[in-house]
Amino acid sequence: MIKIENLHASINGKEILKGLNLTVNAGEVHAIMGPNGAGKSTLASVLAGREDYEITAGSVTFFDKDLLELSTEDRAREGLFLAFQYPVEIPGVSNVNFLRTAINEKRAYHGQEPISAKDFMAMVREKSALVELDSKLSTRSVNEGFSGGEKKRNEIFQMAMLEPKLSVLDETDSGLDIDALRIVSHGVNALKTAENASIVITHYQRLLDYIVPDVVHVLYDGRIVKSGPKELALELEERGYDWIKESL
Amino acid sequence: METNTLNKLSLFVEDLHEASLAPQPLIDAAKEYLLGQDLPTTKSERFKYTRLAKLANANFTDPSKTSNSVEKPLAPIEDAYLLIINHEEVILPQDLPKGVDICLIQDSPVAWHEAAFKDVFGALNTLHAQMGLSICIRRNTVLDKPLQIVHAHNGGKQFFRHHLQFEQNSEAQIYFVSQSMEGSVSFAHTHFQFDIAKDARIKIFKIQDTSSGHFHFTEDRAKQAEGSHFQINTLTLDGSFVRNDSQVQIQGEHAQTYLNGAYWLKDDQHLANYTTIDHQVPNCESFETYKGVAADKAVGVFNGKVFVRKDAQKTNAYQSNANVLLSEDASINSKPELEIYADDVKCSHGSTTGQLDENALFYLRARGLSESAAKNLLLQAFMEDVLTYIPNEDLLKFIHHRIGQRFNWVY
Repeated sequence: MIKIENLHASINGKEILKGLNLTVNAGEVHAIMGPNGAGKSTLASVLAGREDYEITAGSVTFFDKDLLELSTEDRAREGLFLAFQYPVEIPGVSNVNFLRTAINEKRAYHGQEPISAKDFMAMVREKSALVELDSKLSTRSVNEGFSGGEKKRNEIFQMAMLEPKLSVLDETDSGLDIDALRIVSHGVNALKTAENASIVITHYQRLLDYIVPDVVHVLYDGRIVKSGPKELALELEERGYDWIKESL
Repeated sequence: METNTLNKLSLFVEDLHEASLAPQPLIDAAKEYLLGQDLPTTKSERFKYTRLAKLANANFTDPSKTSNSVEKPLAPIEDAYLLIINHEEVILPQDLPKGVDICLIQDSPVAWHEAAFKDVFGALNTLHAQMGLSICIRRNTVLDKPLQIVHAHNGGKQFFRHHLQFEQNSEAQIYFVSQSMEGSVSFAHTHFQFDIAKDARIKIFKIQDTSSGHFHFTEDRAKQAEGSHFQINTLTLDGSFVRNDSQVQIQGEHAQTYLNGAYWLKDDQHLANYTTIDHQVPNCESFETYKGVAADKAVGVFNGKVFVRKDAQKTNAYQSNANVLLSEDASINSKPELEIYADDVKCSHGSTTGQLDENALFYLRARGLSESAAKNLLLQAFMEDVLTYIPNEDLLKFIHHRIGQRFNWVY
């Protein structure tokens, strides 16, 4: 589904990703773990197309498309979804209005008719129930005055509405209490199919108790330095990252 | 000082004839004020950002040679008492309710009592205004639907003067709609005098939708008595040159004042909003919100003064001006001024001018919205809170239609 090869990216002249390789296939969940400053959030931002980063080398192929050539919105319309670590508050823009616009722009991109108001509202009801998001929140301004947990649930709600092929969850567990973590994870697991895939970026192993990965990668100093089965996450939890640094 | 009889002001007034409707002392005061004056330049504080060269050099359309736009004005509000006015005639509604008196300013002896000129145009208005309305909403009258006054400008240099008197405990919404004929060159200066008696609840809307080629000046002078609620909403939808100067004197306790402005500027539009709120007595509140966007090479000016006099204890005054710039060549000059002489007051003011929030833009695009759709949503959201003051659905629709048309926004 996505193939990242030798990806180098820098910001303000400082190189953060230094030759990253990663392949994710349909039906798979990949976890990316690593210490602070390893480049985890940079990877998420670069995939979503944030323009602050400069790609200096490498390629990203999403299905048969050169992802790096696509605008941020076209990546989204092709089926890439980024759940933000810090979802943005947008006063005055209603959650459902903006989602309806997003869905219809995606449909137009694929040559489809706009979604009917009835189908849309039915979808809002179904998907907000999935993440136990109060239906009042779905009509309020995007993330405005939401608690940390509500913001993350809103991210997963949007993910459910947009039905992406590849979801990148950037530190979705940060700032969540155990109940919110359970709800968010339940949402992610329920949305999993044989046709879609997820990249779960996290600092802690805790999230992986709920979202079970097929592969765990360790990102360190801009490269993936170790990959293994889900047990690798437990080992990292127990031993920290130092033994990986030492083994390099 | 040597007086040059051929200065720009003399040339500007050359072909104006004196209407002399004002009482003699006012005419004398205006003439004295104008002695030795010229059209203001950018050296004068009030015209620092406003160049009048275009006005001085304009070749005004002869209004007698244009079609009479009074016959087919655009009236945005469906359910209202409709008045139509131009420089030579007024069409009054047939169905005016009880408690509303309207006559021409020529026939109203009470309509003139302002001699504090702030610039030459105010003084010229006193000498040359020859058309206007005197409107009185009688005691305890609650208007069942708004008055809509459509003002069609179709050429020439015109001065208008309206006097609006709101008696005790009256309630009304009044919409002034200004339009001008596309392709014509015209100048209009309109003076509004508002007298708001005790406990009156009044909302004024100025919908400025003029074309390029029209120079639009307005002057609001309001006096508020005890317990009154007064609102002026200035909505600038179009027009290449617009200057508004609103002044409210709060003279009775427990009065509330709202001054709001919304503007959407593009091309080489010039808009200047000057406001003065004068708290003269204790226990009053004023709220001022001006918001706008500026694209292309548009220039916006906001100058908001709030006075809190020595006796005006327990005043609560709030002022804000917020702007979004959509291009590198657009500019906004914003100057809030507070002068506070009382010691037990709550006053705040703020002014922001910036671009759209890049993080919000990225967030929306990451969900699949095109850049233009994302900007569109954010700009609409930005303008939303100042539009919440508009209680009329028709007007809101009209604004959305006009702004959608001009900016290619989808509402």
